[in-house]
Amino acid sequence: MSEHSVNIIMIEDDEGHARLIEKNIRRAGIANAIRHFVDGTKALAHLFDDPDGPARNGPALILLDLNLPDMSGIDILAKIKADAKLRRTPVVVLTTTDDKQEIQRCYDLGANVYITKPVNYESFAKAIQQLGLFLSVIQVPEVGEG
Amino acid sequence: MTLTGRGFRRAVLGAMLVGFVLLLTAGGAALLAARESQVRSSWVVHTFEVERALDRLTILTEQLETARRGYLLWHHDTALSNYRARSHDIPAALDEITRLTRDNPEQRVRVAAIARLVESHRRSVQQTVERAESANLAVRAMADFSVDESFFSMRSLRTTIGAMKRAEEALLAERTAAEDRAGLVLNVVLSVTGALVLLVIGGALWVVLRYTADLDRSQDELRRLNTGLEEAVAARTAELSRANEEIQRFAYIVSHDLRSPLVNVMGFTAELEATIAPLTELIDRADAEAPALVSREARGAKADLPEAIGFIRASTQKMDRLINAILRLSREGRRTLSPASIDLAALTAAIRDSVQHRLGEVGGAIDVAQPMPPLVSDRLAIEQILSNLIENAIKYRDPARPLHVAVSGRREGERVIVDVADNGRGIAPADHERIFELFRRAGVQDQPGEGLGLAHVRALAYRLGGVITCISSLGQGATFRLSLPAVLDTEGVR
Repeated sequence: MSEHSVNIIMIEDDEGHARLIEKNIRRAGIANAIRHFVDGTKALAHLFDDPDGPARNGPALILLDLNLPDMSGIDILAKIKADAKLRRTPVVVLTTTDDKQEIQRCYDLGANVYITKPVNYESFAKAIQQLGLFLSVIQVPEVGEG
Repeated sequence: MTLTGRGFRRAVLGAMLVGFVLLLTAGGAALLAARESQVRSSWVVHTFEVERALDRLTILTEQLETARRGYLLWHHDTALSNYRARSHDIPAALDEITRLTRDNPEQRVRVAAIARLVESHRRSVQQTVERAESANLAVRAMADFSVDESFFSMRSLRTTIGAMKRAEEALLAERTAAEDRAGLVLNVVLSVTGALVLLVIGGALWVVLRYTADLDRSQDELRRLNTGLEEAVAARTAELSRANEEIQRFAYIVSHDLRSPLVNVMGFTAELEATIAPLTELIDRADAEAPALVSREARGAKADLPEAIGFIRASTQKMDRLINAILRLSREGRRTLSPASIDLAALTAAIRDSVQHRLGEVGGAIDVAQPMPPLVSDRLAIEQILSNLIENAIKYRDPARPLHVAVSGRREGERVIVDVADNGRGIAPADHERIFELFRRAGVQDQPGEGLGLAHVRALAYRLGGVITCISSLGQGATFRLSLPAVLDTEGVR
């Protein structure tokens, strides 16, 4: 299973943001498959129940926006980190909020990286490219490690 | 009718005064009536005394006569001694009558007649007795006795005394009637006085009772109002906190949701910008190789595109700054206040030190007045307010004169007033409210800024339960007056 390529699961309600994120990921030279969900319900269904989803099929990286139309990204984060199979899946929180308390909460819940979507495009692109670096470095660990 | 009314109080006071004056008058009248009654009574007694004295004189005279006759008849020594005793007592009895009737001229005339009669009777009696004492003259004495005038004088005496007694009885009747009248008057006066006393006491009691009842009622009312007020204040405070929370949430949500599309605008503008280079290159090449292919619009677009993108960037950047400002305000509003004892002088001095380099550049000075009143408030908020005001003073100084800022504080009742006064370019009175509004600025726009500082200062002041006002006119410098509760109550403000 460890040789599976990492799927990127992007939970982002804003199509524009999603497109920008994808463009920058590709620009950073990351070719992993990206699955995009615009609401929490569908994303959770994929995460937990889809045969192709990370719970049943291999490693994934989750890009999570906190402001979703049907639920808070924080709830999704909590569910992922409470699940035995999914809790080791890296979660990158990507959102416009730079409120210290909210960042703290995300880390408390087990978020691996917290990235504020900057309005300044250069830094945004840089952040995404760093994410690419991050992606190339991590080797998603086997379930059951440690 | 309210007992607390000024008019009513005056009326009650007047009535009480009248009551007491009447009471005094009645007391005086009673005293006079009692004295009159006493005088009348003493006159009645006096009449009785006169009558008694007259009776005594009559008896003495009769006894004297009897003693003489007895002696003349029997020459008995007992009769003689009786005669002597009576004859000795008579002048005293007569004197008594004279003394008692000194006030009555009519009776005085009668008394004089009686005195004469008594005297002549006494003399004739004395004569008779002296003769009788020598035995040889006894017969002569008997003869004298039968012819002397004593019989007549006795008769006149009886008549005169009778007249006197009648006169006294008339007087007695008169005086008794007067005494009765005086008694009646006294009784009436006493009754009236008694009634008045009862009336005044009753009135006073009524007023006291009414006042007490009224006082109780107003106390109850006050208690009820107080409770109502507390409830109203609590309800209002809760309402305000709710409204404040709502505004905070609104600001928070708006700033976040506005940022989201802005990320897109910026992102895709950058994408657009990235396409300029290859497009420009393409147009340039086409222009060189096949100029016929390049239209005038295409050449125009080559120049317009970077300009348009430049404007979009500048605008989105400004919008980002504004949204961040709103976010900062909303965050400040949600920060938990922690009241602490603040040394205003030290805090202001620290702010002055932090802007020392700017002061050096512009050649200005900041005076911190000593002493400053003690203040219990949120240190961070106070620091932000004061540094904002001081930075503004430096920013909007008047270049024509060296900057001078005076920071002073004083206590007014339950509040602490802090003044930050500068000699800068001043603010026109029409702008005194405007400058505190978000994104609004006043005066010549020659300084960078978004119009956030004073809006932030006012929001902080409100949060601390305070107010900030501006006192200034154009060209005259400006004083920002911060009024804060001396002790911040975090129960009341959230």
